[in-house]
Amino acid sequence: MAGIGGAVTTGRKARWTVLNILVVAYALVPVLWIVSLSFKTKETLADGNFIPRAWTLDNYKAIFSTTEFVRALVNSIGIALIATAVAVVFGTMAAYAIARLDFPGKRLLVGVSLLIAMFPQISLVSPLFEIERTLGLFDTWPGLILPYITFALPLAIYTLSAFFREIPWELEKAAKMDGATPGQAFRRVIAPLAAPGVFTTAILVFIFCWNDFLFAISLTSTEASRTVPVALSFFTGSSQFEDPTGSIAAAAVVITIPIVLFVLFFQRRIVAGLTSGAVKG
Amino acid sequence: MAEIVLDSVTKQYPDGAVAVRDVDIEIADGEFIILVGPSGCGKSTTLNMIAGLEDITSGELRIGGERVNERAPKDRDIAMVFQSYALYPHMTVKENMAFPLRLAKVDDTTVEKKVRDAAEILDLTQHLDRKPSNLSGGQRQRVAMGRAIVRSPKAFLMDEPLSNLDAKLRVQMRTSVSRLQKRLGTTTVYVTHDQTEAMTLGDRVVVMRGGAVQQVGAPQFLYDNPANLFVAGFIGSPAMNFVPAALEDNVLRSALGDVPLTDRVRGLLEGADAPREVIMGLRPEHFEDARLVDEAVRAKGVTFTNQVDVLESMGSDKFAYFSLQGEQATSAELAELAADAGSADVPGGGVSLVARIAATSTAVAGEPADIWFDADKVQLFDPGNGRNLTYRG
Repeated sequence: MAGIGGAVTTGRKARWTVLNILVVAYALVPVLWIVSLSFKTKETLADGNFIPRAWTLDNYKAIFSTTEFVRALVNSIGIALIATAVAVVFGTMAAYAIARLDFPGKRLLVGVSLLIAMFPQISLVSPLFEIERTLGLFDTWPGLILPYITFALPLAIYTLSAFFREIPWELEKAAKMDGATPGQAFRRVIAPLAAPGVFTTAILVFIFCWNDFLFAISLTSTEASRTVPVALSFFTGSSQFEDPTGSIAAAAVVITIPIVLFVLFFQRRIVAGLTSGAVKG
Repeated sequence: MAEIVLDSVTKQYPDGAVAVRDVDIEIADGEFIILVGPSGCGKSTTLNMIAGLEDITSGELRIGGERVNERAPKDRDIAMVFQSYALYPHMTVKENMAFPLRLAKVDDTTVEKKVRDAAEILDLTQHLDRKPSNLSGGQRQRVAMGRAIVRSPKAFLMDEPLSNLDAKLRVQMRTSVSRLQKRLGTTTVYVTHDQTEAMTLGDRVVVMRGGAVQQVGAPQFLYDNPANLFVAGFIGSPAMNFVPAALEDNVLRSALGDVPLTDRVRGLLEGADAPREVIMGLRPEHFEDARLVDEAVRAKGVTFTNQVDVLESMGSDKFAYFSLQGEQATSAELAELAADAGSADVPGGGVSLVARIAATSTAVAGEPADIWFDADKVQLFDPGNGRNLTYRG
């Protein structure tokens, strides 16, 4: 952040620090606010204090004591992971083909996948609802995984083909000359070099699936496949006079944690991959 | 170790473009052969076909007596060094060099030993645990060579392996490539566009142009007896001088004066069916400052007087540049050579000439000088098809 090495003057450093703090604060205040809310007791919820005066873990205990939330969390994790895995595997193969091979219909394929990415999702909700009800996919895991893969694939293909294109083709030729089968060349040379791209794509796809609300609310009806964002919207207090703010805040914090972990974990791999690369021969 | 035979090998792309046409080359076991030519002449395509990276449209490729047209690169047992080195960036030097052996499922102790040996030959022992990104250009080049030699393949293919190095290192690596090849005695096919590399490295040189082989021979033979204008102009630096001339009985009329035909030239011309208008080719070293030539020798050549445009002293000798009045020699071959050298649109009427003269010459730039050349060294070419009329094949 601070620019180039030791040649930075203190004045410049200070300016950058202030700017960084401003940006980070601007981005994090809403997050911290929800964290703060989740630790407040029912009585102090609406007191307007940023730092809770009375701390409590009751909100967390409450949400984890209901099957509603725990079940939704399991659904969310399962659906997002499966959709991510499938999209990344297919995306990797498709992107590799698009980046390396010349086949008839390549432009059409790229065009159609772009079209899917641009389609307003809301316009597909009703047809999908009808289709899934007819096929018996409504309110099942596959019922959510399939649309997620469909919409995540274009994204995956685009990011990954950009990465594949940066890997010099000569490396693959060299691997072939060194005695590798096409499969070995892909596994031992191309895949390790494309790993940062694969991880980046995995993060993006996972976030997309994890955050989705529209499909999740339209294509589910019970705990069997309801994901956390939807479950959150169904939260109520223990009586109808009770305010569920505290529970919602706690649930919101809980579903943020996997994303943060996911990014932090893979970010290391991404940085490691990029620095060990030096792809230029 | 094996001989490689290309039997009228042709490469045609689906769009109909022919990259390589009917190439016949027989490469003996242990021979160091150079494919040379301007960019787009098909030399790299030829190499890729030998490697198996490109399909052969027609013709046959035999390695060690066996037809290998249909074999995948990995089944041909040949190693290749790429222009960009193509080192695997995620592996250390050691892993890079061990990669072909690992794929061949060689056991660990043998891998270790072979990599050590190769590293020793190439002076890479202290760099074995580094990543390619931390190596200099010359070191990367050596790692690429190392990866090729560990496997002791039947043949080495090298695709302009030195062209990414700076000039000084290139000369140094050139000698070490040559030494390495002599030491290992492995059949080597080396592609370059640099005629100096072609002259200095190879046992034999294949000059290519527009997908076709122009001439195959030892470097010195190609230099002394180019089969056509293209080879004559491509091999040699500075390039051969070309002057238009009219062939009359026993004499050539040119901008350099009347050149008598010597017995050698006349003998070679007989039966060559020479046209009247020809192109006269003269190597720069066949010129000399007339004042430094004995009377007796001077009689065997032609002396002309012209202003020296530029005089470059190389220490050991001097290069004198002249512009002659008159028409420039024109032919398809020469136009292509000029385009390749990037001098196609350099303006300059008349014929430009380079003479290599002794360092003791007192010629001065901007002043006229008397220059002599050896009439017996003249080569004559047919401007229509570029054929060398004085070719001693």
